[in-house]
Amino acid sequence: MEFTMIIDSVPALLKASAMTLFLSCISVIIALVIGFFTALIRIGRLPVLHQIASVYISVIRGTPLLVQIFVIYYGLPQIGISLDPISSGIMALSLNAGAYLSESFRASILAVDKGQTEAAISMGMTYGQAMRRIILPQSLRIAIPTLSNSFIVLIKDTSLVSVITVTELLQMSSLIIAKTFEPLTIYLIAAAIYWILITCFTQLLDRFERHSSKHLAQ
Amino acid sequence: MKIVEVKNVRKQFGSSPVLCGIDLDVEKSEVVVIMGPSGSGKSTFLRCLTNLETPDEGDIRIGPHVIRINGRVTREQKKEIREMRKKTGFVFQSFNLFPHKTALENVMEGPLTIRNLPAAEAREAAGSLLEKVGLGDRKDHYPAQLSGGQQQRVAIARALSLDPTVMLYDEPTSALDPELVREVLQVIKELALEGMTMIIVTHEMGFAKDVADRVIFMDGGVIVEQGKPEQVFDHPQHERTKRFLSSTK
Repeated sequence: MEFTMIIDSVPALLKASAMTLFLSCISVIIALVIGFFTALIRIGRLPVLHQIASVYISVIRGTPLLVQIFVIYYGLPQIGISLDPISSGIMALSLNAGAYLSESFRASILAVDKGQTEAAISMGMTYGQAMRRIILPQSLRIAIPTLSNSFIVLIKDTSLVSVITVTELLQMSSLIIAKTFEPLTIYLIAAAIYWILITCFTQLLDRFERHSSKHLAQ
Repeated sequence: MKIVEVKNVRKQFGSSPVLCGIDLDVEKSEVVVIMGPSGSGKSTFLRCLTNLETPDEGDIRIGPHVIRINGRVTREQKKEIREMRKKTGFVFQSFNLFPHKTALENVMEGPLTIRNLPAAEAREAAGSLLEKVGLGDRKDHYPAQLSGGQQQRVAIARALSLDPTVMLYDEPTSALDPELVREVLQVIKELALEGMTMIIVTHEMGFAKDVADRVIFMDGGVIVEQGKPEQVFDHPQHERTKRFLSSTK
């Protein structure tokens, strides 16, 4: 094993990790927005939008992410929508995670005791006020563990966009291996970087969960 | 002066009638206690008053707010119902305090959100309400850190925070351990002495005798009998009232 070769490859791997992190963060934010609003639409049973949201969730959850990536990157140009690889990747990842987050949000909103809504509206609050001030803050806390899961899956799924030539961590590892012929070492380094990224992320969410649960401490 | 006027409130759950035409007038400062076996419709009736449960039909007036319901609730009615709720304090059996807010924040919530009061002003008002229910030293506790009796007293302070014209209590002590019942009843009694108009659904007979101006006995979705507490408790006229009273002795 050429030790110097491995040392030389580290900067490139770290740079590619930045791309992985970028894809993850942007997609998480967009997915949170999509998930949140589709959850509200489904709970509020808004006409038409409600059906659209249900079809969206059903289609996304019923098809592989890889197929979704191919449809967006290779398929959409056929009807005149050409996106560069990074945008396609972000679109696929956030649409995908958004569907799962939507279900998490929906479940967590429904998990808040009905008495909470009653207490809020019995003061004269509108449904929207009750949602904003009373229900959502509580449901967010309930949602954190499942959100955490979805985020982990999302970070790992960024490796799939390597197939549409986005130079993220996995793609870069393969490129380096093509030059160095050190698959075991390089892939292990890549795995370690994924592990560190995900651990940092879960730590952050754990801290947030503890912070938002402080009212439950005796 | 009548504060509450209710005419012919009817409600059906599926095919089973729960309220079969209830009328009720409540004078200012009157304390009305509603009793009856479980399933008699007393809680449903109380919830219908502020539309937590929408009656199938019925006329309800609380203060200046009039709701006439016959079938669907219109948009204008929803607005009027909200205005009515702002002036009606509701106390739940299971407290329903907001667990993510401190005692003080629970009591501030209405003034802040509904009245848009400045935070400092809301804080001060909420503080003195908590003092009033004997929890001045528990302001910064979260509901999970309070006993059931304390939680219910915070809930009463919260219900008082918008200066209600009438207070409604739905079995306020039924979820409490026996030794905590008294502290809650004491707070309600003090409010009665101050002249608060109240409608209370409860099983506490001693309390009813002590505080009520009028006791209503409900069964099967109708008011079977009503009158002064001594009259209803000591000389019940109806067979159903007698049976209920003897079963609870």
